[in-house]
Amino acid sequence: MGRKKKKQTKPWCWYCNREFDDEKILIQHQKAKHFKCHICHKKLYTGPGLSIHCMQVHKEKVDKVPNALPHRSNIDIEIYGMEGIPPQDLEEHEKQRAGKSDEPPSKRARSDDEDSQDATSNNQMNPNGPMPPMMPGMPGPGMPPMGPMGGPMGPGMPPMGPMGPGFMPGFMGPMGGPGMPPMPPMGPMGPMMGGPRGPMPPMHGMPPQQRPQQPPPTSTSTLQSLPSKPLFPAAAAVTQSQPRPSAPVGPDFKPKMSNMPTSSQQSGPVKPTFPAYSSSATLSAPPTAPSATISAAPTVKKPESSSGMTTKLVHPEEDISLEEKRASLPRYQNRQMAPQTTISAPPMMNMPRMPQGGQMQPPMSQMNNGGSRPPGPPGPMGYGMMRPPMMGAQGRY
Amino acid sequence: MNLFGGSSTGSFGGGSLFGGNQQVVVNYNPMKDVEVASPPDDSVSSLQFSPGSLTSTFLVAGSWDNNVRCWQVEQNGQTIPKAQQTHTGPVLDVAWSDDGTKVFTASCDKTAKMWDLASNQAMQIAQHDAPIKTIHWIKAPSYSCVMTGSWDKTLKFWDTRSPNPMMTINLPERVYCADVHYPMAVVGIAGRGIIIYQLENQPREYKTMDSPLKYQHRCISIFLDKKTNGPVGFALGSIEGRVAIQYLSPTNPKDNFTFKCHRSNGTTGGAQDIFAVNGIAFHPVHGTLATVGSDGRFSFWDKDARTKLKTSEQLPMPITCCHFNAAGNIFAYASSYDWSKGHEGFDPHKMKPHVLLRSCYDELKPSNKKS
Repeated sequence: MGRKKKKQTKPWCWYCNREFDDEKILIQHQKAKHFKCHICHKKLYTGPGLSIHCMQVHKEKVDKVPNALPHRSNIDIEIYGMEGIPPQDLEEHEKQRAGKSDEPPSKRARSDDEDSQDATSNNQMNPNGPMPPMMPGMPGPGMPPMGPMGGPMGPGMPPMGPMGPGFMPGFMGPMGGPGMPPMPPMGPMGPMMGGPRGPMPPMHGMPPQQRPQQPPPTSTSTLQSLPSKPLFPAAAAVTQSQPRPSAPVGPDFKPKMSNMPTSSQQSGPVKPTFPAYSSSATLSAPPTAPSATISAAPTVKKPESSSGMTTKLVHPEEDISLEEKRASLPRYQNRQMAPQTTISAPPMMNMPRMPQGGQMQPPMSQMNNGGSRPPGPPGPMGYGMMRPPMMGAQGRY
Repeated sequence: MNLFGGSSTGSFGGGSLFGGNQQVVVNYNPMKDVEVASPPDDSVSSLQFSPGSLTSTFLVAGSWDNNVRCWQVEQNGQTIPKAQQTHTGPVLDVAWSDDGTKVFTASCDKTAKMWDLASNQAMQIAQHDAPIKTIHWIKAPSYSCVMTGSWDKTLKFWDTRSPNPMMTINLPERVYCADVHYPMAVVGIAGRGIIIYQLENQPREYKTMDSPLKYQHRCISIFLDKKTNGPVGFALGSIEGRVAIQYLSPTNPKDNFTFKCHRSNGTTGGAQDIFAVNGIAFHPVHGTLATVGSDGRFSFWDKDARTKLKTSEQLPMPITCCHFNAAGNIFAYASSYDWSKGHEGFDPHKMKPHVLLRSCYDELKPSNKKS
């Protein structure tokens, strides 16, 4: 697989019809001119890559490749250097070039697209055409055996175009970039579909079992194993601790899990992150006195931002559920029968279980019997309590 | 405080129990969906469609106004208010029995009730020491019962006839969310714990697991295997705009993953707002899922293709809950305040709750962009 002699065609950019002496330069051009994110200026590797980057990182839709000729701005076609160019366009370009080879490239480029407008725009919609016949002649150092592939793959094989990133799970963070070797033009056309992109993790459409086998098949791209940084770090972490039976919770569980085993344990040190969790004051403070609440309640940690963006969690500072916070408000207490105010009394949430059942709330059976209620908080609430929870025959409203 | 004083009289005693709308400035229905008639007066905590065993479709909503409402939903989207029941505290969760004859309701008044729809009678069936956050009906071949999860750190199982629970399971923390799909139950608790129960013969703990998420759990929903139709995992939503897809026994560790959602795009002003995921519902036919968030948007996702199918326009209020009907052609979601911005964020006059119905069958088809 030595270098092919540049025979007929110089590498050219499908997006703007510009010619280059070297495919490397072409790729640089494409990255800078067509695959650059207009928001953060990150250079992506393909059109779909750019589109997904913008969607995921910036939540913006990019529907056209920037700086492209109008009919070549389809962002869904995956083109990397000379790879992925729809065959008709290649032919077209070839013809144009043969006809007007002495014109300056820029000029030719322009006439090119006028002439070929129809053909190409058709083509964009239908990237599944047969492999271009001249592919084998393509220049490019280290190009894998394109020629032989071209034939057999031919029509049956969708060109890589939409295959790659376009395909990738919507929420993958770092796109394309790491998966793709910058220099060696081992594009998507490699020996095997998807092969050279190896590290691009979860390409859907591939059975999961295959994913691990995707390491780059060639030594050139082995370098690119940087994506070992997991795309779903959280998930990865989970998998380590996940498939474990509960009964013998191993010592390997993170400390915060240590209180999780069989459910009847007393709540020990719940978790180091929120030491205040086990304190009993969380909901006990009068909800209208924010200072008290805040001092007692654990606070939600600040979200981390991977992209350097400032982030703000839209949630109260206390790490209690919105419902708990809301239910503690007088607004919702007032509607209830007076005794319900006891709900907000300290013991409810966090007192050890034992005393709670007995003191604060008679079990239901007792209530039915009209069992005497231990002294609750003073006030007019004593009997109101008895009324609402009714059973059986009383159940009608 | 006048905020609350004013509002509580306004919404409760203010004459028009149903449907008073003054000064609705913003478009509360940017998705142009069908509005449910006579929505609750205060935030909607839970929405549940009747099971497929009924010929007609009913929707039940629990609300912070202490009421549980039931509507009949016609296929043309028309809704007819049918009945209403009241608790003495905000209603936090509702559930249907499998035959569709009864609705179970859980409330901050620490009780749960069984509402017999035919006779329109409700009776108390459960009692906890603290507000009951979750309620589910369990239908097993050998038994059936109601499972309640409470902030009193217990999970209790009730046969609906006895005042005492069939079984009480003590938990290390308060119950924040739960889901049941026989033979599996999963409970998300404070402190980011997850406990999975096996319901065959009788409920027993199957395993506890560490959270795949780093923030407080908020909602959880079991999903089914496409072939066997049995429960194989769950989706868990947190307050930090993130959902974890978790299999019980993943064939490949990479099957489990998390994804971000319900976040502002943050390109303007530089700061990104991260909102809570308030609800997750799986589509009964396609197996795709919907999430709703404090940001006032709903999104549809294909967890297998790991793609987003659709995101709604932003509603002026958070979306607090959602559900699909049994046929999978109606997506119900409730736009109402969820307290995510505290009482400062609450304007009772502008924040009238709305329940909206969306025709969704095609939008939730799994993505198959193979080429």
